[in-house]
Amino acid sequence: MNVHPLLASFSGAVEFIFIPQESNVTGGKEVGGFDKTMELLVGHIEVTVLALAIALLVGLPLGLYLGHKEKGELVAVGIGNAGRAIPELAVIALVATLVGIGLRNVAPALALLGIAPILNNAYVGVRQVDPATVDAARGMGMSELSIIRKVELPLAIPTVMGGIRSAAIVIVATATIAPLAGVESLGDFILNRNVYGENGLLAGAILVALLALTIEGSLALLQRRLTSDGLKVKTA
Amino acid sequence: MGNPFVVAAGEVGGDFFKERSSGTLPCQADESHLFCFDWAKENIDRYGTPAQQHLEIVLLSVLIGFVVAFALALLAHRTRWLQPPLLAATGILYTIPSIAFFFLLLPLTGFGRDTAVLVLSAYTLQIIYRNTMLGLDNVPDSVKDAARGMGLTNRQILWKVELPLATPEIIAGLRVATASTIAITTLVVLISAGGLGTEMYGSNFNFPTAILIAVAIIALMVLAFDLLLLTAQRLLTPWRKV
Amino acid sequence: MSEQTASSVRYVEATKRYPGASSPAVDKLTLEVPAGEICVLVGPSGCGKTTAMRMVNRTVEISEGDVLVGEDSVRDREPAQLRREIGYVIQQVGLFPHRTISENIGAVPQLLGWEKDRIRQRSSELLELIGLDPELGDRYPAQLSGGQQQRVGVARALAADPLVMLMDEPFGAIDPINRERLQNEFLRLQAEIRKTVLFVTHDIDEAIKMGDRVAVMREGGRIEQYATPAELLMAPANEFVEDFVGADRALKRLALMRVRDIHLWEAPLAHVGQATGEVRAKLESPDVEVAFPLLVDAERRPLGWLSERDLAAEVVPGRPDSPLGPVLELDDVMRDALADLLQHETQYAPVIDHAGRIAGVLSVEIISEFLGSPEAKSDEHPAVERPHG
Repeated sequence: MNVHPLLASFSGAVEFIFIPQESNVTGGKEVGGFDKTMELLVGHIEVTVLALAIALLVGLPLGLYLGHKEKGELVAVGIGNAGRAIPELAVIALVATLVGIGLRNVAPALALLGIAPILNNAYVGVRQVDPATVDAARGMGMSELSIIRKVELPLAIPTVMGGIRSAAIVIVATATIAPLAGVESLGDFILNRNVYGENGLLAGAILVALLALTIEGSLALLQRRLTSDGLKVKTA
Repeated sequence: MGNPFVVAAGEVGGDFFKERSSGTLPCQADESHLFCFDWAKENIDRYGTPAQQHLEIVLLSVLIGFVVAFALALLAHRTRWLQPPLLAATGILYTIPSIAFFFLLLPLTGFGRDTAVLVLSAYTLQIIYRNTMLGLDNVPDSVKDAARGMGLTNRQILWKVELPLATPEIIAGLRVATASTIAITTLVVLISAGGLGTEMYGSNFNFPTAILIAVAIIALMVLAFDLLLLTAQRLLTPWRKV
Repeated sequence: MSEQTASSVRYVEATKRYPGASSPAVDKLTLEVPAGEICVLVGPSGCGKTTAMRMVNRTVEISEGDVLVGEDSVRDREPAQLRREIGYVIQQVGLFPHRTISENIGAVPQLLGWEKDRIRQRSSELLELIGLDPELGDRYPAQLSGGQQQRVGVARALAADPLVMLMDEPFGAIDPINRERLQNEFLRLQAEIRKTVLFVTHDIDEAIKMGDRVAVMREGGRIEQYATPAELLMAPANEFVEDFVGADRALKRLALMRVRDIHLWEAPLAHVGQATGEVRAKLESPDVEVAFPLLVDAERRPLGWLSERDLAAEVVPGRPDSPLGPVLELDDVMRDALADLLQHETQYAPVIDHAGRIAGVLSVEIISEFLGSPEAKSDEHPAVERPHG
C-alpha cells in the first residue's frame, strides 16, 4: 500500500473542508469551502436533533410506562428487534416517494428508526430494576409517577441512555442519505460525487464520522453525569 | 385485467386498490402507487442475483466479525485490563455511520465487495464482543470455583464450563448482529457491491413496489436467520428448557 | 469401592500472605491430621480457616512453609493434577448447570481418563450411596432441591476415590432440619469409607458433632486448641476457646453420646393375651423403674403403652390405649433423642435395637441425672469414644 497517495487524498479532503476548490467537473465553478461545509453540517444536525427529539418524546414515556406496568413485553421487545432490521435506504426512498421530501417529512421518518431502540431500552431498563426496591418505594407511599421518576428511571439510566445513544447513531447515519429526500446534510458531499469530486467525497465521510463520534461522546459524558454514584460503584 | 391478485385485492381494498391497479395506466408509471402486483409478478426474477449477493456479503461479514470479536473476547477474558480499551475500540467502529465508513476506506480498498465486508464486519464487532463478555461474566463464581478445585485447567474451564454456559448470550449477540448487518448491507449499492439495495436505488428510487419487495425479502432473511440461530441455541443448551 | 487408603495431611509452618495486607491471613500454621479422620477447622469469620483449607489443594497458593499430603509436598505437584486427587466440596456446591447429575459426578473420573462404563457405574454407585434415586442421574441440577444438590456435591467429590476431602461449610446453606440429616448421613458414610476430611465451619455445634479432632482458630489461622471434641468441652485451653464453645458445654456434650452409652431404665413388659394380674404384680415390685407397662409382641418389639383401663380387663388386650410415641434407637445421638422427648412432651420413650426389639426406656430424668452426675464431669468417660461403624 503506497502511503503517499493516501496522505495526499486525506490532505486534499481536509483542504476541501475549509477552502473552496475549483471543481473541474462543473466547469470551473467553486465548490466546497468552509461556508458550504457549515451549511451542510447545520442541516445534518438539524434533522438529527429534530428526529431524536420526536423519538424521545414518543418512545421514552411509552417505554418507561410499559416497563413500569410490566406489560407489552412482546411489543416493546418486538419493536426493538424489528427496528434493527429496517433498511435505512428503504425508509428514505419510501418517504421521498410516498409522503414527500423536505425536513417536515423526513424527520418523522428518521424518528421512527430511533423510536425502536429508545422504546426497547426504556422498557428493559425499567424491568430490570429490582422489584424489591420498587416494592419498598410503594410501601413508603410514593405515587406511581414518583416511583417512575425517582426510583426506576435513575436506576435504569445506563440502559436507557444506551438506547438513546443507539437511536442517535442510527439517526445520524440515516441523515447522511437524507439528501436523497431533499434534506441538506453532510451526505450531500458523499452522494454527489460528480459535483464535489473525490476530495468532497472523502471530506464528507470524514465529517460525518467526526460528527457521529462527537455526538456519541457527548451522550456518553451525559450518561456518566446522570448515572448516580451508587450505580457507578456497582458496575465498576 | 384478469390477474387474480388484482381482482382479489380489489374486493378487499375497495376503491383504493381498484383505482391504482387499473389496467389502462401502467402501474409503474404512476409514482404514487403503493404496490403494483403485475410488475411484481413479472419482475420477481430480477431479485435473485441481488438477494444472493446480499446473502453472501452478510454471511461473510458476520462470520468474520464473529471470529474476530470472539477471539478478542477470549483475550480480554484472560487479560482484564484489555477490556475497557477493547470495548471502546469496538464501540467507535460501531458509531461511525456505515456510509461514512465505506467512503473513508475508499482510498485503501476501493469500491466493491471487499470494502463492504470489511466495514460490515467491523460493525458487528461491538455487539458480539460485548455479549460474549457478558455471557462469560455471568457464569456463577461457585461453578468456576468448584471446577478449579476439582482439577480442571484454565483452558478446560474456559471451553468445558464457561463457554457452554455463555452460549445463550453469545447467540443473542449473533442474532442482533445478523439482523442489523442484513439491514445495513442495503447500502453497499453505493460502493458498487450489489445487494438488495440495488433495487431501492437509482431508477427504482421512486418506485415503491420495487422497494417494498426488497424490504419483504430482507424481512424474510432476518426472520429466517433469527429462527436458525434460535434453533441452534435450543440445541446447544438442552439444560435450559428445564 | 477401590482399596485406596486415605492419606494424612500435615501443615508445616504454612503461611499465606496477601499483597497489601498488614499481617498474614494464615501465619505459620502447623497441624497434623491423621489419615482417616475428620479434622474440623472452626473459628470466627476471617480467622483464616477457609484459606488454610484451600492451601491443601492450592486453590490458595502457599507463600511460605509447606503442606504435605501423605509424605508428598503439595508444592511439588502440578496444581490441576493435585486437585484431581483431592475431593472438594464448597458451600454453594457449584454443580455444573449444563451437565446432568451423572455427568457432574463423573467429572473428575472423566478428567482422569476412566472408561465410560466405569464412570457410569461409579456414578450410580455413588448416587445410591448418598441416598438418591439413580433415575435422578439424568436430570439437571436446576431440577433438584438444595439438599439434593448438596448431596450430589459430596458424591462428586468422592467419585475418584480421593485421598483427602476438603469441605468448606458444605451444609451451611441448608435449612436446619435437612442439615442434621445430611450431617448424620455423612457421618454414616464416613464410618464406611474412612476418608481424611478437612472440614471448615463457623458453627461450634457442627464442629463438635462432626469432628474426630477440632482445631479452634483465630485471626491469622492461629490455633488456640487442637483436640478431640470432648477435651474441648471439658478442658478448654483458654478464655477464647471457652467463649467460642459457649457456656452450655455440658448440654453440648450430649452431642457426643449415643443412647446406648447411658444406663436405660426397664419397663415391665406385657404380652398380648397375658393375664393382667401378672402384669400388675410386676408393677407392684419395689424396684420398678417405669410406672407403665409396655406392650410387646412375641419378638419383644414394642407395640404401645398400657393404661389402667387396659389392665382393668382380665387379659391384656391386643390394642393398647396409649400410642407408642417416639421410638428411639440405641445408635441415636443423645442430643437428638432429648430433642425428641421434649418435642413430643412425653416422659418415656422406648429404645429399640437393630432388630427392633426393646432394649430399655429413656426418660428426660435419666439424661438430667447424668448431666448432674460426677461421672459426667470426670475426665475419663466411656462416652467420649466416637462410636465407629
